[in-house]
Amino acid sequence: MFLICLTLNYLFNIIYVTAGAKMTEILKVENLKKSFTLSKKQQKIERTNLKVKVAVNDLSFTAYKGEIFGLLGPNGAGKTTTLRMLATLIKPDSGNAFIDGKSIITEEKEVRRKIGFLTSELKLEDFFTPNYLFGFFSELYGVDKTVAAQRKQSLFSKFGIDRFAEVKLANLSTGMKQKVSLVISIVHNPDLIIFDEPTNGLDVLTAKVVTDFLEELRAEGKTIILSTHIFSLVEKLCDRVGIIINGKLTALDTLSNITAEKNLEDTFFELYEKTTGEKL
Amino acid sequence: MRNIFTIIKKEFARFFKDKRMVITVLLPGLLIYILYSLMGSVFSGMGGVDEDYKPTACVINAPLPVSSSLSLAFAVSNEAMTEEDAKQKIKDGTLDVLVIFPEDFSLEIGETQQNVKVFYNLAKDNSSYGYQLMTAFLNAMNKTAFTVNFGDEQYNLADDSSMAVKMMSMIVPMLMFALLASACIAVAPESIAGEKERGTMATMLITPVNRVEIALGKIISLSCFALISGISSFVGVILSLPKLMDGALNLTEIPYGAGEYFMIFGLIVSIVLVIISAFSVLSALAKSVKEAGTLITPLMMVIILMGMASMVVSSPSVWLNLIPLLGSGLAISSIMSLTASPLGVGLAVLSNIIAAALLVVLLAFMFKSEKIMFKK
Repeated sequence: MFLICLTLNYLFNIIYVTAGAKMTEILKVENLKKSFTLSKKQQKIERTNLKVKVAVNDLSFTAYKGEIFGLLGPNGAGKTTTLRMLATLIKPDSGNAFIDGKSIITEEKEVRRKIGFLTSELKLEDFFTPNYLFGFFSELYGVDKTVAAQRKQSLFSKFGIDRFAEVKLANLSTGMKQKVSLVISIVHNPDLIIFDEPTNGLDVLTAKVVTDFLEELRAEGKTIILSTHIFSLVEKLCDRVGIIINGKLTALDTLSNITAEKNLEDTFFELYEKTTGEKL
Repeated sequence: MRNIFTIIKKEFARFFKDKRMVITVLLPGLLIYILYSLMGSVFSGMGGVDEDYKPTACVINAPLPVSSSLSLAFAVSNEAMTEEDAKQKIKDGTLDVLVIFPEDFSLEIGETQQNVKVFYNLAKDNSSYGYQLMTAFLNAMNKTAFTVNFGDEQYNLADDSSMAVKMMSMIVPMLMFALLASACIAVAPESIAGEKERGTMATMLITPVNRVEIALGKIISLSCFALISGISSFVGVILSLPKLMDGALNLTEIPYGAGEYFMIFGLIVSIVLVIISAFSVLSALAKSVKEAGTLITPLMMVIILMGMASMVVSSPSVWLNLIPLLGSGLAISSIMSLTASPLGVGLAVLSNIIAAALLVVLLAFMFKSEKIMFKK
């Protein structure tokens, strides 16, 4: 049985790598590094005497068109910092990343046109209605009015927002707000979509709507970078996974290659213990 | 009792461990000290008359000793003129005070009460100063022997129009600066620091929109709100001034035309742009609306003081108009006193626009700075 599994895994890898060779590279991350100066207060919280914390250390990976790439790691591992650099919100200390050939350092505006970014850190003004916000962000992204109207109709109907289109965000449920945020993040139909913990705080029904939508996006040929600490989400959705611990990429491969005969959770904890030296 | 003490202890710990809270509580005291000290200097220098100035006076019926003493402090006119001529000169501003002693004036207490009449023009700084000096001089004499300006006679020769102009030139700049700054503080922190605090600013920053465009969009819209609010408060205050001043100001006597109103409007727009831009920059530095308020308060006090500058600076050089805000205060005062030069007003507007433009660029740079925008 073990031999059969191993053979199947080997065959899958050959197929994936061969297909990968033909796949279009949409995101190339090259030796990204980012550190933060810690204030005395932060040093106290982090229980360290170090004045500088390396949040992301020499990170490199590539994502291809039409795949869901998962960034898995514990809190504070550097996932969000990586995504914020990719979204051009913050600049790396060294290294670079290219989204569809555009540098996140020198071609920020072009990069912003090509990506959608959904994170709990980015909020929408809850004084406004979904309708207004969709129009507002469509204009900021320079989406043609007719295209925007069609897209709004399709997305609002898919997520059931149409019934609440004229209700202020402040009066919507958490789940509906998250759906609106998701829709607004892809208002400009980007090729690369970055989701930071997209199902955090959602009820199971809304979480399912979101995960189903991620699969739909993949089917449409969009690339998704998914940061999460939820193993089941990675197992369900991701084609390839990068495991990030203490700012370093400790594993990068297809899920089956990383886990081999074990499950993802066990593999992750093994890697964690090996990397940090901490006994869990 | 023990619980009360526990709660008190917790509140004290909360208060003294939060540096910002301590600053917020202690700052007003410090600011009041600074502001009142400055106001003291401002008011002591009010009147706009040089210290060396010797007011001109026409003295009628003065006994010789008084006349010679007066000549020490006043440039006593030797020109022969009637009472009416002298009064007209005071109205015109060519003479500062007219003093009429009773015939047979004596410094000894007599049977009848003697009244010394001092005519002046409150609308003219020099005449106003001359009047103050003259009353001080007379009071230093044997005051029990006579009265000064007794009765209902009109001793202040300024007409209603001149008085209105004088009052407006003193009140309007300070009032306008205070009201506009209040209007700006009501909108700027909420729009910049509030958006930062709520996380909605970052959502806008990941769009391909240029940061300068975001900064400009915010400042222009905020300026419009502040302008509407500031002007509405200003109109309200001006309309209520006659009642507030118990009839001392008659609005129907205000002799301003379209030119004055046009210049004032231009100045107000440019002042609002500078104040909103400055407040926006400070708001961008803050992590919350509350912190923005703390950062802005000292600047607001300085702005109000700038509005009072026209009370101190007499005959300002046109180049002073090149100092943003300060120049505008002086320009508004000159417009209100009908002595404005288009060059001075133009320079004041120009300096404000340049200052606002520089602040917009600074704000755009701040929007680009991750340390400022995303520091926790």
